[in-house]
Amino acid sequence: MTAIKTILCIEDDRFIGEMYVRSLNKAGYAVDWMVDGNDGLVAARNKHYDLILLDIMLPERRGSEILAALRGGKDDLIPDTRVIVMTNFDQDDESRAAMQHSADAYLIKAEITPKKLLAIIEKLSNA
Amino acid sequence: MESAATLAIGCALILSGVSMPPTAFWITLIAIFSASVGINILLVNLLVAPLKDLTSALTHISGEPTLVTPPNPNARHFDRDGFKPILQLIYELAADEKKDDETVTSAIQPSARKLATALDNTSAGFMILTAKQEVLYANSNAPVHTDPDNKKVIDLIFDDKPSLAQWLKECEETAVHAEHSWERIANKVTGEEDRKIYDITASYQKGSEAEVVVILFERTAEYLPEDEDLDFIAFAAHELRGPITVIRGYLDVLNDELEDSLSGDQAELIKRLVVSANRLSSYVNNILNASRYDRRHLKVHLRESSITDIYDSINDDMQLRAVSQNRMLHVSFPDNLPTVAADRASISEVFSNLIDNAIKYSNEGGLVNVTAKADGDFVKVSVEDRGIGMPSNVLSNLFHKFYRSHRSRETVAGTGIGLYISKAIVESHGGKIGVRSAEGEGSTFEFSIPVYSTVAEKLSANNNSNEGLIEHSEDGWIKNHAMYRG
Repeated sequence: MTAIKTILCIEDDRFIGEMYVRSLNKAGYAVDWMVDGNDGLVAARNKHYDLILLDIMLPERRGSEILAALRGGKDDLIPDTRVIVMTNFDQDDESRAAMQHSADAYLIKAEITPKKLLAIIEKLSNA
Repeated sequence: MESAATLAIGCALILSGVSMPPTAFWITLIAIFSASVGINILLVNLLVAPLKDLTSALTHISGEPTLVTPPNPNARHFDRDGFKPILQLIYELAADEKKDDETVTSAIQPSARKLATALDNTSAGFMILTAKQEVLYANSNAPVHTDPDNKKVIDLIFDDKPSLAQWLKECEETAVHAEHSWERIANKVTGEEDRKIYDITASYQKGSEAEVVVILFERTAEYLPEDEDLDFIAFAAHELRGPITVIRGYLDVLNDELEDSLSGDQAELIKRLVVSANRLSSYVNNILNASRYDRRHLKVHLRESSITDIYDSINDDMQLRAVSQNRMLHVSFPDNLPTVAADRASISEVFSNLIDNAIKYSNEGGLVNVTAKADGDFVKVSVEDRGIGMPSNVLSNLFHKFYRSHRSRETVAGTGIGLYISKAIVESHGGKIGVRSAEGEGSTFEFSIPVYSTVAEKLSANNNSNEGLIEHSEDGWIKNHAMYRG
């Protein structure tokens, strides 16, 4: 897979979204930021991104639904895109396992500072 | 037949040389043909009618649906043709058999009805199944619904526990008689209406008429509040983690961007903010874990890991905590330590809790020493401080939830939940945790977890899960990059 350059951030919390966008931009990534689930899904379908940062508790459409719409069908609609699920919600095991299955990483946001996120993206980029 | 007979008579008339006009000949021939048809119909009716009556009578007594009126043995023609006694005998035999059936049913039905009514009036669910899990009987409180194919389907969610179906399959293959119990089994997922939670007992008796009997005791009133508490805690954790994410994140950003311009004092203030935010995050994790553990929802997912790697993922945070409280944290692990079977995130939380305690209960400028060594089939980790120590009478209570010694309540902030959840995590790895302490001299907490090679086969058979509890990885998980802890 190609190195990560373009990122779609789907995050409804303005403070958290701005924080990620600011750090990612500073690190040289091109970032699009969507604040609700519907817009996020449309953006992911209409444009290729190397990475999607996906929150779960989103307005309009949950992150789990977005992931299912993109990767849950017969064909993977984003085969060349990495997905990092980032949530603070304590999902039940079944839902969590389902998302882990379709994602490249599943992280608790409160544990991941922007610096750590950059390190993880770099690691995925080189994988 | 009629045609052949008429033809034969015609030929005979011609051959015999009887001379008659052609018109008379044809009239004679047609008359003969008509007479023979009439005779035939009469003969068939006479011969076949009794057979028809017999069939009709038999169809009637067998209960098969038919539009034909059953033959009446009192009809005159049955007298004439002698068929009356045969029909009467058929009806009498049928009546006797029905009477026998009714006698048996009338003896059984009242008690069966009473039993069914009694079972419907209990709060328990009651089901009789075949070993293939087909529902033969279910009372009104049994969690059963009928699917579009008119088949009864059992509504029970066994989560990660061996299900009724799995148990029955095992019984069918290996047992003649068996019993099994389940606790806290719900009929619907959390959040759905009319969710009920049961304790269940099932018995299996191979070849019996009631091969599988399942009794369900409804415990919704006892279990549901606990489940709702857990939901509440999960939502509360979500709400708390939001601001924590922002605080930790922006501190990280500020620290980077202002690093060169901050004075020594200002940098120290930032450091304290970072440490406090990190500790807050750890508390939230502890509360979530303790809540899950209390409800038997805590699982660990064990993988081959090295103690050094696990600790390294939290080293920066731990060093910062020590430095900000003016303690020295010395960590030293031998290079040749065997790998362990560990849930990395959970064990890093144990490290974090024990080191945090050691920092809190040691003296200003004191040393906290973290070491590890191989100990038989286990790797033993020690966290030692030379702080205030504890009298022996409090040691046995230390790992109880919310326990805080009288002295620590006065002098040190804390919730008394860290050691409780640490014990739960270590024991769910198959390890042990303990403490040695002397008042005024300090304490040493030790925990051991299994060497990977000693449990690799068992883990592989159980899909890397320990047998009892949940898959748990609080900080997160990265596919093929499990080395990260947030």
